[in-house]
Amino acid sequence: MSASLAVNLGGIAMKNPLNTASGTFGYGWQFEGFYDVSCLGAITTKGCAAEPWAGNDQPRMADVYGGMINSVGLQNPGVRGLVAQCGEYLAGLRAEGCQVICQVAGHSVEEYVAAVELFEELAPFASGLEINISCPNIACGGIAMGSTPEGAAEVIRAVRPRTSRPLLVKMAPARVPEIAKALEAEGADALTLINSIPGMAIDVHTRRSKLSKPTGGLSGPLCHPIAVRMVWEAAQAVSIPVCGVGGVRSGEDVAEFILAGATAVSIGSQNLYEPDCAPRILAELEAWVDEQGVDDVNDLRGALEC
Amino acid sequence: MGAPAPSTGRLFEARVVESEPVAGVIHRIALEVGELASLLRAGQFVNVAVRGEARQLTRIPLSFTQTDVAAGAIELVYEVVGPGTACLARTEVGSTLGVLGPLGNGWSIPDDARRVLLVSGGTGTVPIFAATLACVARGIATDVVVGARTKGLLWGTDALSSQVSGSVIVSTDDGSAGEKGFASGPALALLDERAYDLVLVCGPEPLMRVVSARAIDLGIPCQVSLERTMACGFGACSTCAVKTIHGMKGACMDGPVFPASEVVFS
Repeated sequence: MSASLAVNLGGIAMKNPLNTASGTFGYGWQFEGFYDVSCLGAITTKGCAAEPWAGNDQPRMADVYGGMINSVGLQNPGVRGLVAQCGEYLAGLRAEGCQVICQVAGHSVEEYVAAVELFEELAPFASGLEINISCPNIACGGIAMGSTPEGAAEVIRAVRPRTSRPLLVKMAPARVPEIAKALEAEGADALTLINSIPGMAIDVHTRRSKLSKPTGGLSGPLCHPIAVRMVWEAAQAVSIPVCGVGGVRSGEDVAEFILAGATAVSIGSQNLYEPDCAPRILAELEAWVDEQGVDDVNDLRGALEC
Repeated sequence: MGAPAPSTGRLFEARVVESEPVAGVIHRIALEVGELASLLRAGQFVNVAVRGEARQLTRIPLSFTQTDVAAGAIELVYEVVGPGTACLARTEVGSTLGVLGPLGNGWSIPDDARRVLLVSGGTGTVPIFAATLACVARGIATDVVVGARTKGLLWGTDALSSQVSGSVIVSTDDGSAGEKGFASGPALALLDERAYDLVLVCGPEPLMRVVSARAIDLGIPCQVSLERTMACGFGACSTCAVKTIHGMKGACMDGPVFPASEVVFS
């Protein structure tokens, strides 16, 4: 008899802890040719703003040791575009038991509010909204607002009254305990961390950045130990659930996040390299839970012994 | 299910049949890929997973020159430009690689085309090679202009000459082979001399911009194949964006081949 994998991420009932990191999973349908996406506990869609964004110039990504660096700049079709393009698909996915978390982008408090209001009006399929206050690749908004407790709190204070749906916040890899506490105090239902880590990659022959901007966001296996540590810090600091993100390649990587205190865990860059990785990782997670001799994955959350 | 169609790309296990340098840092690799060989259309591409090198997380997007459907084989030609392609060049015959494909939209060659001009620069010659074979197979008259930085990086011109009924003109930036200068020189001359009903270009963006601008001026349909760094190849990551008159598109799903008249060149 297999153990129960069901978890509750701040009011979002997931049949298993697996989620996808926003920005590495498109809007879900891109993966339907590789496996049945509804096997996941949830997906998190690419960040969307109230109006479409063109994103940053080329080049937008480069390989780095142990991962990749990107500067996409949250290119998105706007909430209306998302709903028109794939709202029906996302509603179907949710009906099949896979929760749909829609990520929200903005350059300012007003833009976050406008996007949340549009999701409320147009996206009944959204199981929850994830406010991205930590994108490293946009000039204002994003990490500029999410890297201080005051800035982070200001955004959540403004959007919280606009939605009764579960509200998640995508956190920057900085000042985790104090920002986590500030977000909890403003009524966030769950925290997602970490967003990509600000970094640089330089072509020494041309002396130019390998991206169109000097800095970008690091993701991939190189981030995993940092993300596990920050998830552990967040889980110590707050009582709301945490979704761990960063360099997951295997069920063992998911297990590390759970032991560190994560309720759910997102697969990120690995989706891009191994587009059919999620069913494999889910099977590996199930095997680990069974091996641990528990009948509920929740019994392993925060079960780090040290 | 009310969403755009996902990519046609599927995961294949490929066996390396041949792997060798063909001209300086230009290498070729022949892969047995089974059914994938019959699915690829000229101008589409594959994403290759290089194994045994921890620093390579993303797959390498590569164009193919030709397929052998009976043998289930494809030939990729690429330039060694970084750690990933260097690792690929060290791959031993008999080993296996993960290949994702077919990806993207290839060249669109109308059945009633009578004479096609194909223009390439650098590794742009790879998809142009495939396009040439596709034209020849349909009995379409073709002229090909192949540009390279220098003689030591030229490859495939003999094979092209043996295939096409028209001209194969070579140019090198330094004049070490063929005409001195960029491929745009001979290409613009041919556009003035001969009547074409289609122009296909792949190479550096200035080449594509100059040649496509003249083709458009002459009222000749022109397609360009664009190169972008990309992480996934199937529409999930938004890294391979292309500016078009219809807004941002993705090179992986909407391209890499675009009507030149829709591309906003930088």
